[in-house]
Amino acid sequence: MSILQHVLITGANGSLGLETARYFLSQNDAWKVSLGVRAGRQERALALGEEFPGRAQVVHLDVTQVADWQAAVEQATQQQGPLTALVNNAGFHDDALLANMSAGQWASVLDANLNGVFHGCQAVMGGMMRQRYGRIINVASLSALLSPAGQTNYAAAKAGVLGLSQSLSKEVARMGITVNTVCPGYIEGGLPAEWDAEHRKGLLRQIPMRRFAQPREVAAAIFFLASPEASYITGVHLKMDGGIL
Amino acid sequence: MNLRQRLKEVLSVELMLEAPAEEIGDDTPLFGPNGLGLDSVDALQIVVAMEKHFQFKLADTSQAKQVLHSIATMAEAIEQARTPA
Repeated sequence: MSILQHVLITGANGSLGLETARYFLSQNDAWKVSLGVRAGRQERALALGEEFPGRAQVVHLDVTQVADWQAAVEQATQQQGPLTALVNNAGFHDDALLANMSAGQWASVLDANLNGVFHGCQAVMGGMMRQRYGRIINVASLSALLSPAGQTNYAAAKAGVLGLSQSLSKEVARMGITVNTVCPGYIEGGLPAEWDAEHRKGLLRQIPMRRFAQPREVAAAIFFLASPEASYITGVHLKMDGGIL
Repeated sequence: MNLRQRLKEVLSVELMLEAPAEEIGDDTPLFGPNGLGLDSVDALQIVVAMEKHFQFKLADTSQAKQVLHSIATMAEAIEQARTPA
């Protein structure tokens, strides 16, 4: 495809977001990347922007804020042209047993991981419909499929992302817009720092591949789903777990 | 090409209708079993197409049912919007 491609990646300062941005920028010169980051969390994204001048721009974006989304999409479009892809990557977890979970822990995780995806899809939808082309990739999690104890909030949010994505994929398919999710398991660089060697060893024994995912491997899958070549793939939940499930 | 013919062409292309543009009646209902049988996703596409091709923006969703009834009602709405106040 000869048209220029422009992707907005949220949570672009984190390990997976940054690696995904780098992957897009490294594949070919056709891709431009807008790095959506929250205030105070943009150092690494800014550095990446300097590494790829003219092709990577930072935009302020708190995914829970509708106004931020409107401003970010407008700014990204003005700076680098129409958006052809959106990667809803921003999210976090705040684990606790349900009996001990506060209403705030529940709400904040749902807000960032699920509502943020809703707001993002809405924000880009008009533009993608007008150009009759779009790629939306929502980063869910293996937790949506294999929900462990201690993650009722996170698992609910990510399962919600699967449902949202599949429903939306049917709404917009005839307009050349695909909507897919990736469901990564454990990713190096994204694992809690407090996990000791013994804990990691225990987890590795559960993974048939006996290793965690590299961010680059997940980035490669996202890149493929964002590409013109993935034009007949929609409503898919791509499990990336090294064989666990 | 007049406005109604242009609307039929745009709809035919954007919605990938089976019926050729010239066979769409001016007053044929767009939705429902007695008309073209379009659905809510088609309605969304029509709204986008009216903005894109005719620079016409629906004021609000309450206007949609009236405007999107037929080619004739869509043409009337566009012509009205173009008429200086």
